[in-house]
Amino acid sequence: MRLLQRLKRGMSTQKSRPQGNSNYAYTTARVRAMKSKLLPKETYPRLINMQIDEITRFVGELEYKEDVDYLARFYEGVDLIEHALNRNLAVTFTKLISISEGELNFLISEYLKKYDIWNIKTILRGKYCGASTDEILEAVVAAGRLTYTFTSELAAKPTYEDVIASLSTSEYASILKDYDGTNLSVIENRLDKKYYQDLFTAIGDPKSKDRKLFSKFIRTDIDMKNLITLFRLKKYKVNDPETADLILDGGLRLKYKEVEKMMPLAFEDFLTELENTSYWEELSDCCGPNMDSLTDVETKLKKLRLKTAASFSHVYPLSIVPIMDYILSKENEVNNLRIIIRGKAVGLSDEEIKSQLVI
Amino acid sequence: MAVETAAAVMDPAGLKAIGAGLAVGLTGIGSGLAEKDIGSAAVGAMAENEALFGKGLILTVIPETIVIFGLVVALLIS
Repeated sequence: MRLLQRLKRGMSTQKSRPQGNSNYAYTTARVRAMKSKLLPKETYPRLINMQIDEITRFVGELEYKEDVDYLARFYEGVDLIEHALNRNLAVTFTKLISISEGELNFLISEYLKKYDIWNIKTILRGKYCGASTDEILEAVVAAGRLTYTFTSELAAKPTYEDVIASLSTSEYASILKDYDGTNLSVIENRLDKKYYQDLFTAIGDPKSKDRKLFSKFIRTDIDMKNLITLFRLKKYKVNDPETADLILDGGLRLKYKEVEKMMPLAFEDFLTELENTSYWEELSDCCGPNMDSLTDVETKLKKLRLKTAASFSHVYPLSIVPIMDYILSKENEVNNLRIIIRGKAVGLSDEEIKSQLVI
Repeated sequence: MAVETAAAVMDPAGLKAIGAGLAVGLTGIGSGLAEKDIGSAAVGAMAENEALFGKGLILTVIPETIVIFGLVVALLIS
Protein backbone atom coordinates (compact mmCIF):
# COMPACT_ATOMS: atom_id res chain seq x y z
CA MET A 1 0.00 0.00 0.00
CA ARG A 2 2.82 2.37 0.99
CA LEU A 3 4.68 1.46 -2.18
CA LEU A 4 1.58 2.18 -4.21
CA GLN A 5 1.21 5.55 -2.54
CA ARG A 6 4.83 6.36 -3.19
CA LEU A 7 4.47 5.38 -6.83
CA LYS A 8 1.39 7.56 -7.11
CA ARG A 9 3.24 10.44 -5.49
CA GLY A 10 6.14 9.96 -7.87
CA MET A 11 3.83 10.15 -10.86
CA SER A 12 1.80 13.12 -9.68
CA THR A 13 2.75 16.44 -11.19
CA GLN A 14 2.52 18.37 -7.93
CA LYS A 15 5.23 16.67 -5.96
CA SER A 16 4.74 18.69 -2.81
CA ARG A 17 1.11 17.72 -2.58
CA PRO A 18 0.76 14.07 -1.67
CA GLN A 19 -2.34 12.36 -2.96
CA GLY A 20 -2.16 9.25 -0.77
CA ASN A 21 -4.77 8.19 1.73
CA SER A 22 -4.95 10.30 4.84
CA ASN A 23 -5.19 8.44 8.13
CA TYR A 24 -7.67 10.84 9.73
CA ALA A 25 -9.12 8.26 12.14
CA TYR A 26 -5.74 7.30 13.59
CA THR A 27 -4.35 10.81 13.82
CA THR A 28 -7.41 12.50 15.28
CA ALA A 29 -7.92 9.76 17.89
CA ARG A 30 -4.26 9.98 18.89
CA VAL A 31 -4.36 13.75 19.00
CA ARG A 32 -7.48 13.68 21.17
CA ALA A 33 -5.70 11.33 23.57
CA MET A 34 -2.77 13.76 23.56
CA LYS A 35 -5.12 16.65 24.26
CA SER A 36 -6.50 14.89 27.32
CA LYS A 37 -2.99 15.03 28.77
CA LEU A 38 -2.81 18.83 28.64
CA LEU A 39 -2.92 20.63 31.97
CA PRO A 40 -6.45 21.27 33.24
CA LYS A 41 -7.27 24.89 33.97
CA GLU A 42 -7.44 24.26 37.73
CA THR A 43 -3.68 23.61 37.72
CA TYR A 44 -2.68 27.19 36.91
CA PRO A 45 -3.77 28.83 40.18
CA ARG A 46 -1.86 26.08 41.99
CA LEU A 47 1.22 26.74 39.89
CA ILE A 48 1.05 30.46 40.65
CA ASN A 49 1.29 29.68 44.36
CA MET A 50 4.45 27.61 43.93
CA GLN A 51 8.12 28.67 43.97
CA ILE A 52 10.30 28.25 40.87
CA ASP A 53 11.94 25.06 42.16
CA GLU A 54 8.58 23.53 42.93
CA ILE A 55 7.32 24.45 39.47
CA THR A 56 10.41 22.86 37.91
CA ARG A 57 9.73 19.64 39.82
CA PHE A 58 6.03 19.74 38.98
CA VAL A 59 6.72 20.31 35.27
CA GLY A 60 9.40 17.61 35.37
CA GLU A 61 6.80 15.08 36.49
CA LEU A 62 4.43 15.84 33.61
CA GLU A 63 4.72 15.35 29.88
CA TYR A 64 7.91 17.40 29.97
CA LYS A 65 9.79 14.82 32.06
CA GLU A 66 11.97 13.53 29.24
CA ASP A 67 12.89 17.04 28.11
CA VAL A 68 13.69 18.25 31.63
CA ASP A 69 15.81 15.14 32.29
CA TYR A 70 17.68 15.52 29.01
CA LEU A 71 18.36 19.23 29.36
CA ALA A 72 19.17 19.18 33.10
CA ARG A 73 22.78 18.47 32.11
CA PHE A 74 23.11 21.80 30.31
CA TYR A 75 20.81 24.27 32.04
CA GLU A 76 19.27 25.02 35.40
CA GLY A 77 16.44 26.99 36.96
CA VAL A 78 14.32 29.14 34.66
CA ASP A 79 16.48 28.47 31.59
CA LEU A 80 16.00 24.74 32.06
CA ILE A 81 12.20 25.03 31.97
CA GLU A 82 12.29 27.47 29.06
CA HIS A 83 14.42 25.10 26.98
CA ALA A 84 12.40 22.07 28.08
CA LEU A 85 9.15 23.77 27.03
CA ASN A 86 10.58 24.69 23.63
CA ARG A 87 11.98 21.23 23.09
CA ASN A 88 8.72 19.59 24.09
CA LEU A 89 6.76 21.83 21.72
CA ALA A 90 9.12 20.94 18.89
CA VAL A 91 8.99 17.20 19.65
CA THR A 92 5.19 17.20 19.94
CA PHE A 93 4.62 19.02 16.68
CA THR A 94 7.21 16.99 14.78
CA LYS A 95 5.37 13.92 16.09
CA LEU A 96 2.16 15.22 14.53
CA ILE A 97 3.94 15.43 11.18
CA SER A 98 5.39 11.93 11.54
CA ILE A 99 2.15 10.19 12.54
CA SER A 100 0.03 11.70 9.77
CA GLU A 101 -0.04 10.54 6.18
CA GLY A 102 -1.04 11.82 2.78
CA GLU A 103 -2.86 15.07 2.47
CA LEU A 104 -3.28 15.47 6.22
CA ASN A 105 0.48 15.37 6.61
CA PHE A 106 0.83 17.99 3.88
CA LEU A 107 -1.66 20.35 5.54
CA ILE A 108 -0.11 19.97 9.00
CA SER A 109 3.38 20.64 7.71
CA GLU A 110 2.13 23.67 5.76
CA TYR A 111 0.55 25.01 8.96
CA LEU A 112 3.66 24.31 11.02
CA LYS A 113 5.79 26.20 8.55
CA LYS A 114 5.11 29.16 10.78
CA TYR A 115 7.79 27.77 13.10
CA ASP A 116 10.31 27.69 10.25
CA ILE A 117 9.53 31.33 9.59
CA TRP A 118 9.65 32.07 13.32
CA ASN A 119 13.11 30.46 13.54
CA ILE A 120 14.46 32.30 10.52
CA LYS A 121 13.12 35.56 11.97
CA THR A 122 14.64 34.79 15.39
CA ILE A 123 18.04 34.06 13.88
CA LEU A 124 18.01 37.20 11.72
CA ARG A 125 16.90 39.28 14.72
CA GLY A 126 19.64 37.69 16.81
CA LYS A 127 22.27 38.53 14.21
CA TYR A 128 20.82 42.04 13.88
CA CYS A 129 21.37 42.84 17.54
CA GLY A 130 24.49 40.74 17.97
CA ALA A 131 23.06 38.05 20.27
CA SER A 132 25.13 34.97 21.08
CA THR A 133 24.32 31.55 19.61
CA ASP A 134 22.99 30.35 22.99
CA GLU A 135 20.72 33.36 23.32
CA ILE A 136 19.30 32.74 19.85
CA LEU A 137 18.79 29.03 20.51
CA GLU A 138 16.79 29.88 23.62
CA ALA A 139 13.99 31.18 21.39
CA VAL A 140 14.23 28.57 18.65
CA VAL A 141 11.38 26.05 18.33
CA ALA A 142 12.29 23.49 15.68
CA ALA A 143 8.73 22.31 15.07
CA GLY A 144 8.58 22.80 11.33
CA ARG A 145 10.45 21.32 8.40
CA LEU A 146 13.82 22.80 9.40
CA THR A 147 15.48 20.47 11.89
CA TYR A 148 16.99 21.60 15.18
CA THR A 149 20.48 20.63 13.97
CA PHE A 150 20.12 22.76 10.86
CA THR A 151 18.66 25.67 12.81
CA SER A 152 21.46 25.58 15.40
CA GLU A 153 23.99 25.51 12.56
CA LEU A 154 22.30 28.62 11.16
CA ALA A 155 22.36 30.29 14.58
CA ALA A 156 26.09 29.57 14.88
CA LYS A 157 26.91 31.38 11.60
CA PRO A 158 28.87 34.57 12.23
CA THR A 159 26.92 36.99 10.01
CA TYR A 160 23.46 37.32 8.48
CA GLU A 161 24.95 36.92 4.98
CA ASP A 162 26.10 33.41 5.89
CA VAL A 163 22.62 32.59 7.23
CA ILE A 164 20.99 33.74 4.01
CA ALA A 165 23.57 31.88 1.90
CA SER A 166 22.73 28.63 3.78
CA LEU A 167 19.06 29.17 3.05
CA SER A 168 19.67 29.90 -0.64
CA THR A 169 18.06 26.64 -1.73
CA SER A 170 15.00 27.04 0.50
CA GLU A 171 11.67 28.52 -0.56
CA TYR A 172 12.43 31.68 1.44
CA ALA A 173 15.52 32.52 -0.62
CA SER A 174 13.66 34.92 -2.95
CA ILE A 175 12.57 37.05 0.00
CA LEU A 176 15.74 36.77 2.05
CA LYS A 177 17.98 37.92 -0.81
CA ASP A 178 16.48 41.42 -0.44
CA TYR A 179 17.68 41.68 3.17
CA ASP A 180 20.46 44.24 3.46
CA GLY A 181 20.99 44.22 7.22
CA THR A 182 18.65 47.14 7.95
CA ASN A 183 15.20 46.36 6.52
CA LEU A 184 14.42 43.54 8.97
CA SER A 185 10.78 44.51 9.54
CA VAL A 186 10.02 44.57 5.80
CA ILE A 187 11.51 41.10 5.36
CA GLU A 188 9.62 39.79 8.40
CA ASN A 189 6.37 41.10 6.97
CA ARG A 190 7.00 39.54 3.61
CA LEU A 191 7.81 36.19 5.24
CA ASP A 192 4.55 36.31 7.20
CA LYS A 193 2.55 37.20 4.12
CA LYS A 194 4.21 34.39 2.18
CA TYR A 195 3.21 31.98 4.95
CA TYR A 196 -0.47 32.84 4.66
CA GLN A 197 -0.36 32.88 0.86
CA ASP A 198 1.19 29.41 0.83
CA LEU A 199 -1.39 28.20 3.32
CA PHE A 200 -4.24 29.46 1.15
CA THR A 201 -2.66 27.85 -1.92
CA ALA A 202 -2.41 24.59 0.05
CA ILE A 203 -6.08 24.72 1.02
CA GLY A 204 -7.00 25.63 -2.55
CA ASP A 205 -10.62 26.30 -3.34
CA PRO A 206 -12.30 24.60 -0.36
CA LYS A 207 -15.08 22.29 -1.52
CA SER A 208 -15.64 19.79 1.25
CA LYS A 209 -17.09 20.98 4.54
CA ASP A 210 -14.02 20.19 6.62
CA ARG A 211 -11.80 22.08 4.19
CA LYS A 212 -14.12 25.07 4.44
CA LEU A 213 -13.83 24.88 8.20
CA PHE A 214 -10.04 24.74 8.00
CA SER A 215 -10.07 27.78 5.75
CA LYS A 216 -12.35 29.53 8.26
CA PHE A 217 -9.94 28.60 11.02
CA ILE A 218 -7.00 30.20 9.23
CA ARG A 219 -9.03 33.29 8.34
CA THR A 220 -10.09 33.73 11.97
CA ASP A 221 -6.39 33.58 12.81
CA ILE A 222 -5.80 36.44 10.37
CA ASP A 223 -8.66 38.44 11.94
CA MET A 224 -7.10 38.09 15.39
CA LYS A 225 -3.66 39.09 14.12
CA ASN A 226 -5.10 42.14 12.33
CA LEU A 227 -7.10 43.18 15.39
CA ILE A 228 -4.09 42.93 17.69
CA THR A 229 -1.97 44.92 15.20
CA LEU A 230 -4.70 47.58 14.95
CA PHE A 231 -5.08 47.84 18.73
CA ARG A 232 -1.34 48.22 19.20
CA LEU A 233 -0.97 50.80 16.42
CA LYS A 234 -3.94 52.86 17.59
CA LYS A 235 -3.13 52.70 21.28
CA TYR A 236 0.42 53.92 20.75
CA LYS A 237 -0.69 56.43 18.10
CA VAL A 238 1.43 55.14 15.24
CA ASN A 239 0.19 56.72 12.03
CA ASP A 240 3.00 55.87 9.68
CA PRO A 241 1.55 55.09 6.20
CA GLU A 242 4.03 52.21 5.93
CA THR A 243 2.15 50.37 8.68
CA ALA A 244 -0.51 49.48 6.08
CA ASP A 245 1.88 46.68 5.11
CA LEU A 246 1.33 45.05 8.49
CA ILE A 247 -2.25 44.17 7.65
CA LEU A 248 -2.87 40.67 6.35
CA ASP A 249 -5.37 39.99 3.62
CA GLY A 250 -8.01 37.23 3.83
CA GLY A 251 -9.74 37.83 7.17
CA LEU A 252 -13.08 36.17 7.85
CA ARG A 253 -15.22 38.65 9.75
CA LEU A 254 -13.00 41.67 9.14
CA LYS A 255 -12.39 42.15 5.45
CA TYR A 256 -9.23 43.83 4.21
CA LYS A 257 -11.16 46.94 3.13
CA GLU A 258 -12.71 47.38 6.58
CA VAL A 259 -9.32 47.09 8.25
CA GLU A 260 -7.86 49.52 5.72
CA LYS A 261 -10.63 51.97 6.58
CA MET A 262 -9.75 51.72 10.28
CA MET A 263 -6.05 52.33 9.70
CA PRO A 264 -5.97 56.15 9.61
CA LEU A 265 -8.45 56.61 12.49
CA ALA A 266 -7.59 57.79 16.00
CA PHE A 267 -8.03 55.34 18.90
CA GLU A 268 -11.51 56.58 19.92
CA ASP A 269 -12.78 56.59 16.31
CA PHE A 270 -11.30 53.15 15.82
CA LEU A 271 -13.29 51.86 18.78
CA THR A 272 -16.48 53.43 17.40
CA GLU A 273 -15.82 51.76 14.07
CA LEU A 274 -15.14 48.46 15.84
CA GLU A 275 -18.59 48.64 17.42
CA ASN A 276 -20.06 47.95 13.98
CA THR A 277 -18.17 44.70 13.62
CA SER A 278 -19.19 41.31 14.97
CA TYR A 279 -16.15 41.20 17.26
CA TRP A 280 -17.49 44.02 19.41
CA GLU A 281 -19.84 41.66 21.22
CA GLU A 282 -16.88 39.74 22.62
CA LEU A 283 -14.61 42.71 23.16
CA SER A 284 -17.04 45.32 24.50
CA ASP A 285 -16.49 44.56 28.19
CA CYS A 286 -12.73 45.10 28.11
CA CYS A 287 -12.49 47.93 25.55
CA GLY A 288 -12.88 51.61 26.21
CA PRO A 289 -11.25 54.90 25.33
CA ASN A 290 -9.58 55.00 28.75
CA MET A 291 -8.07 51.54 28.80
CA ASP A 292 -4.58 51.44 30.33
CA SER A 293 -3.03 48.38 28.78
CA LEU A 294 -3.84 46.04 25.95
CA THR A 295 -3.24 42.90 28.01
CA ASP A 296 -6.96 42.37 28.63
CA VAL A 297 -7.90 42.73 24.98
CA GLU A 298 -5.11 40.46 23.80
CA THR A 299 -5.96 37.81 26.39
CA LYS A 300 -9.62 38.07 25.44
CA LEU A 301 -8.81 37.64 21.75
CA LYS A 302 -6.62 34.63 22.46
CA LYS A 303 -9.38 33.08 24.59
CA LEU A 304 -11.87 33.69 21.82
CA ARG A 305 -9.50 32.04 19.36
CA LEU A 306 -9.20 28.94 21.55
CA LYS A 307 -12.94 28.80 22.07
CA THR A 308 -13.71 29.01 18.35
CA ALA A 309 -11.10 26.36 17.58
CA ALA A 310 -12.59 24.02 20.20
CA SER A 311 -16.12 24.48 18.87
CA PHE A 312 -14.93 23.96 15.26
CA SER A 313 -13.21 20.74 16.28
CA HIS A 314 -16.48 19.23 17.47
CA VAL A 315 -18.26 19.91 14.20
CA TYR A 316 -16.04 17.63 12.09
CA PRO A 317 -14.29 15.12 14.33
CA LEU A 318 -12.56 13.37 11.43
CA SER A 319 -10.81 16.32 9.86
CA ILE A 320 -7.77 18.51 10.30
CA VAL A 321 -9.59 20.91 12.65
CA PRO A 322 -9.23 18.88 15.90
CA ILE A 323 -5.50 18.72 15.17
CA MET A 324 -5.33 22.50 14.73
CA ASP A 325 -7.26 22.85 17.97
CA TYR A 326 -4.68 20.69 19.73
CA ILE A 327 -1.79 22.70 18.26
CA LEU A 328 -3.35 25.92 19.60
CA SER A 329 -4.08 24.46 23.03
CA LYS A 330 -0.58 23.06 23.35
CA GLU A 331 0.97 26.40 22.33
CA ASN A 332 -1.23 28.07 24.89
CA GLU A 333 -0.19 25.69 27.65
CA VAL A 334 3.48 26.26 26.92
CA ASN A 335 2.92 30.03 26.82
CA ASN A 336 1.08 29.98 30.14
CA LEU A 337 3.82 27.95 31.81
CA ARG A 338 6.41 30.33 30.39
CA ILE A 339 4.49 33.36 31.66
CA ILE A 340 4.28 31.88 35.16
CA ILE A 341 7.97 30.95 35.29
CA ARG A 342 9.28 34.16 33.76
CA GLY A 343 6.90 36.19 35.92
CA LYS A 344 8.10 34.44 39.07
CA ALA A 345 11.74 34.87 38.04
CA VAL A 346 11.44 38.65 37.67
CA GLY A 347 9.31 38.95 40.81
CA LEU A 348 5.92 39.94 39.35
CA SER A 349 3.00 39.76 41.74
CA ASP A 350 0.59 36.82 41.50
CA GLU A 351 -2.18 39.14 40.31
CA GLU A 352 -0.08 40.44 37.44
CA ILE A 353 0.85 36.94 36.36
CA LYS A 354 -2.78 35.86 36.55
CA SER A 355 -3.88 38.74 34.31
CA GLN A 356 -1.45 37.59 31.60
CA LEU A 357 -2.57 33.97 31.57
CA VAL A 358 -4.95 32.68 28.92
CA ILE A 359 -6.99 30.00 30.66
CA MET B 1 -37.73 -26.44 -23.38
CA ALA B 2 -35.44 -23.62 -22.36
CA VAL B 3 -37.09 -23.43 -18.91
CA GLU B 4 -36.53 -27.10 -18.40
CA THR B 5 -32.81 -26.77 -19.25
CA ALA B 6 -32.42 -23.79 -16.90
CA ALA B 7 -34.09 -25.70 -14.09
CA ALA B 8 -31.75 -28.58 -14.73
CA VAL B 9 -28.64 -26.33 -14.68
CA MET B 10 -29.62 -24.25 -11.63
CA ASP B 11 -29.70 -26.76 -8.87
CA PRO B 12 -31.57 -25.32 -5.80
CA ALA B 13 -28.87 -26.61 -3.45
CA GLY B 14 -26.24 -24.80 -5.49
CA LEU B 15 -28.22 -21.56 -5.42
CA LYS B 16 -28.54 -21.89 -1.66
CA ALA B 17 -24.80 -22.32 -1.36
CA ILE B 18 -24.21 -19.22 -3.50
CA GLY B 19 -26.65 -17.27 -1.32
CA ALA B 20 -24.94 -18.42 1.84
CA GLY B 21 -21.55 -17.54 0.40
CA LEU B 22 -22.73 -14.06 -0.59
CA ALA B 23 -24.26 -13.51 2.86
CA VAL B 24 -21.00 -14.26 4.65
CA GLY B 25 -18.72 -12.68 2.05
CA LEU B 26 -20.49 -9.36 1.63
CA THR B 27 -21.12 -8.87 5.35
CA GLY B 28 -17.47 -9.73 5.91
CA ILE B 29 -16.44 -6.91 3.57
CA GLY B 30 -18.92 -4.61 5.32
CA SER B 31 -17.60 -5.26 8.79
CA GLY B 32 -14.04 -5.03 7.51
CA LEU B 33 -14.69 -1.55 6.14
CA ALA B 34 -16.34 -0.49 9.36
CA GLU B 35 -13.59 -1.89 11.55
CA LYS B 36 -10.81 -0.33 9.51
CA ASP B 37 -11.28 3.21 10.84
CA ILE B 38 -12.34 2.21 14.33
CA GLY B 39 -9.34 -0.09 14.66
CA SER B 40 -6.84 2.52 13.52
CA ALA B 41 -8.42 5.14 15.80
CA ALA B 42 -8.25 2.68 18.71
CA VAL B 43 -4.58 1.97 18.03
CA GLY B 44 -3.93 5.72 17.84
CA ALA B 45 -5.59 6.36 21.19
CA MET B 46 -3.84 3.34 22.71
CA ALA B 47 -0.44 4.58 21.56
CA GLU B 48 -0.93 7.60 23.81
CA ASN B 49 -2.79 5.97 26.66
CA GLU B 50 -2.45 2.25 27.22
CA ALA B 51 -5.40 2.16 29.60
CA LEU B 52 -7.68 2.56 26.59
CA PHE B 53 -6.85 -0.95 25.36
CA GLY B 54 -10.03 -2.54 26.75
CA LYS B 55 -12.37 0.15 25.46
CA GLY B 56 -10.62 0.25 22.11
CA LEU B 57 -10.91 -3.49 21.69
CA ILE B 58 -14.63 -3.51 22.48
CA LEU B 59 -15.36 -0.65 20.09
CA THR B 60 -13.30 -2.30 17.37
CA VAL B 61 -15.27 -5.56 17.47
CA ILE B 62 -18.73 -3.97 17.54
CA PRO B 63 -19.08 -4.05 13.70
CA GLU B 64 -18.23 -7.75 13.95
CA THR B 65 -21.98 -8.22 14.60
CA ILE B 66 -22.60 -7.49 10.91
CA VAL B 67 -20.66 -10.54 9.79
CA ILE B 68 -22.24 -12.63 12.57
CA PHE B 69 -25.67 -11.75 11.17
CA GLY B 70 -24.36 -12.78 7.75
CA LEU B 71 -23.21 -16.09 9.20
CA VAL B 72 -26.58 -16.68 10.85
CA VAL B 73 -28.36 -15.99 7.55
CA ALA B 74 -25.96 -18.35 5.77
CA LEU B 75 -26.67 -21.09 8.31
CA LEU B 76 -30.42 -20.55 8.00
CA ILE B 77 -30.29 -20.79 4.20
CA SER B 78 -28.16 -23.91 3.95
